[in-house]
Amino acid sequence: MAMVDEPLYPIAILIDELKNDDIQLRLNSIRRLSTIARALGEDRTRKELIPFLSENNDDDDEVLLAMAEELGSFIPHVGGVEHAHVLLPPLETLCTVEETVVRDKAVESLCKIGSQMKERDVVDWFIPLVKRLGAGEWFTARVSACGLFHIAYPSAPDLLRAELRSVYNQLCHDDMPMVRRSAGLNLGKFAATVEPANLKSDIMTFFKDLTQDDQDSVRLLSVEGCAALGKLLEPADCITNILPVIVSFSQDKSWRVRYMVANQLYELCEAVGPEPTRTELVPAYVRLLRDNEAEVRIAAAGKVTKFCGIISAQSAIQHILPCVKDLSTDSSQHVRAALASVIMGMAPLLGKEATIDQLLPIFLELLKDEFPDVRLNIISKLDQVNKVIGIDLLSQSLLPAIVELAGDKHWRVRLAIIEYIPLLASQLGVDFFDDKLGTLCMQWLGDKVYSIREAAANNLKRLAEEFGPEWAMQHIIPQVLEMINNPHYLYRMTVLSAISMLAPVVGAEVTCQTMLPVVINAAKDRVPNIKFNVAKMLQSMIPIVDSTVVDQTIRPCLMELNEDPDVDVRFFANQALLACEQVMCA
Amino acid sequence: MSDLDRQIEQLKRCEPLKESEVKALCMKAIEILVEESNVQRVDAPVTICGDIHGQFYDLKELFKVGGDCPQTNYLFLGDFVDRGFYSVETFLLLLALKVRYPDRITLIRGNHESRQITQVYGFYDECLRKYGSVNVWRYCTDIFDYLSLSALIENRIFSVHGGLSPSITTLDQIRTVDRKQEVPHDGAMCDLLWSDPEEIEGWGLSPRGAGYLFGGNVVTTFNHTNKLDLICRAHQLVMEGYKWMFNQQVVTVWSAPNYCYRCGNVAAILELDEHLGKKFTVFEAAPQESRGVPSKKPAPEYFL
Repeated sequence: MAMVDEPLYPIAILIDELKNDDIQLRLNSIRRLSTIARALGEDRTRKELIPFLSENNDDDDEVLLAMAEELGSFIPHVGGVEHAHVLLPPLETLCTVEETVVRDKAVESLCKIGSQMKERDVVDWFIPLVKRLGAGEWFTARVSACGLFHIAYPSAPDLLRAELRSVYNQLCHDDMPMVRRSAGLNLGKFAATVEPANLKSDIMTFFKDLTQDDQDSVRLLSVEGCAALGKLLEPADCITNILPVIVSFSQDKSWRVRYMVANQLYELCEAVGPEPTRTELVPAYVRLLRDNEAEVRIAAAGKVTKFCGIISAQSAIQHILPCVKDLSTDSSQHVRAALASVIMGMAPLLGKEATIDQLLPIFLELLKDEFPDVRLNIISKLDQVNKVIGIDLLSQSLLPAIVELAGDKHWRVRLAIIEYIPLLASQLGVDFFDDKLGTLCMQWLGDKVYSIREAAANNLKRLAEEFGPEWAMQHIIPQVLEMINNPHYLYRMTVLSAISMLAPVVGAEVTCQTMLPVVINAAKDRVPNIKFNVAKMLQSMIPIVDSTVVDQTIRPCLMELNEDPDVDVRFFANQALLACEQVMCA
Repeated sequence: MSDLDRQIEQLKRCEPLKESEVKALCMKAIEILVEESNVQRVDAPVTICGDIHGQFYDLKELFKVGGDCPQTNYLFLGDFVDRGFYSVETFLLLLALKVRYPDRITLIRGNHESRQITQVYGFYDECLRKYGSVNVWRYCTDIFDYLSLSALIENRIFSVHGGLSPSITTLDQIRTVDRKQEVPHDGAMCDLLWSDPEEIEGWGLSPRGAGYLFGGNVVTTFNHTNKLDLICRAHQLVMEGYKWMFNQQVVTVWSAPNYCYRCGNVAAILELDEHLGKKFTVFEAAPQESRGVPSKKPAPEYFL
């Protein structure tokens, strides 16, 4: 939107546009609110614009959302922090609307403003607002109130602090589950601002009540509170207060609560520390891994490596590994996929022996899974196992699986394997690579799918970088050049693409001696697409080769292509010729 | 980089053009399309694609599998728009490629390239939603009238959206049709865009209410009269992406995987090499993470 020609009577135009039938215009004018405020000046913004906005809150949610957001950064426009409190009334109204996203944004903006306000102003303006919302008649106000306590509390004097805590207590026991949910959700933030003595008494009581709420959606949110509160408490208090809650949540009758625990277990373990984890939480985790609900098992399976990282290897092998074995043949493909995405990370934790004896068979099983995501997840993390079990074993047991996947019917699986090849090559070394994987890499150049052929060409480039030009000359280039005789133009095109990628790696000499003649020859192809790709390719070679080569070989070839009957061939030949001229001039 | 190249890049990101740009693009497209024959000559090698139906991200998947234009030559058999979420971007990308590389890509008309049909099956509403006016729909439907009705590859393979017509025995009869009009309710032009092959003798009534059903003997006669090897057409969903009929005299190619985002079918393209060697490449819908499905309202928060 143009910033010039700002309207001269902005408030009039704003009001006009705010009343427009077109929602887009109303939105635009709200989005330009800061410009309008600047035009009005601080004084009139306080006295006219803000009161006007406070009254105009009966609009579409989209407009209200924009307003809630804009007001959050409005302090400079009303004359700095001393006047910040004038922004509270419109946001207070927005905190009570029906649409959740608007309320959330209004709370966010209030927090932003409140955290900048002077302590005295917080007491005079912000805390009364929190109390009003907390006692609001309609539940939306009370939901919003819960998110403001952590801003209000630190500035409050003792007496007021006690009052704020008792308001929060009421909110934790509100009739409406939505309010209790909000209280649960914000408890961690609030608790972090409360002094230790009151934390242990008041806050822990609120917490305990929330964890025993009838509604599973309220209990659900207290799970997150466990980790947040755990970090605030002394280890001993944490064990007596938090640990029993986690253990009981892991057996909650609602699967959604168990799902949350499975998802958060690692954070919870961090909060309670290593020893109790071993004794209390390992059994809880094992239960979650064997849960009836697939959703819970997915969440639990996805954390298996992180969890094993905080318990001893022995305990992992004894308790967790048997579950992992079962999960690898789980009836839900999503459970297996979640497991596959993290299981490779267990190798360094378990050590070589256990990895070979116990983990490797599971990897191999998952590598053969019928669901492509499972296979892909395993492949993309193979290097982690490699470090533990070494190349010999990898070659014996994993390579056959890789070869099989190289021909997988899903092209994205093949793509994942190709992208993994350079890494594998660097770890296996040149000899081994030539033996086992070389032919595979050539095969991909003839794949049915264009993206695979392109990836295969790029892979050759990366291999040439890894093993050096000498090796490329012997093991890649002759085979690639031979494929230029393929009867199908799309496959000849891949050869050209491979040449253009290899040229910068192998250097001018090899390029001119072996590859350039093939490219020049391809300029006589019967298919126009090949010819204009030759032109593009020659253009890309100009900076690599000697200027005499450009003059004697490349340019004559391009001149000929520039006379071709096909318009696209002429276009790209002409482009390349222009590039030649530029090099010659420079 | 020219404006057109920039617009192609923009459309490849699934960002629609400005209304004024669409207008200018369509003007240029008309100049090219008006020169094309009703039976447009196409050279091999070429890759033949069936219905796309506004499934933009699956079209991108098609290019990933078949290669980008202009590296690969393409012939699209119509039905670019309707049903999918991105008819505007899909048609404009194909049209922009046509204008940029007229010899590398051929677009022929499908039964959905019509004012009437697009008002019912989504393209009209999509234009209205994305541009706030029907101007872009008007420009595009005006282009539809200029799209060729069929293509002839190396004088051997006849390509058309629907199929044959009882009022047509030779390709020359198609060449004499005045195509610059809305698709009529009956007659040769309508039949080419609407008919379906069926295991019957001779001709049959089409359950679609437009065009005809035609049997194997009709195809044998037509191919013999016009010295053709094959009729390649689209128009019907086939779960395997392509389907041979009548002893390999007709093939249906379908290029909208998981049609309407729910049919569970795979899609195919037919890659003809320079010796008319045929290779079908089958592909699936683009994976979820690579497509921007218009955000549904998030599940209400009481749900989890």
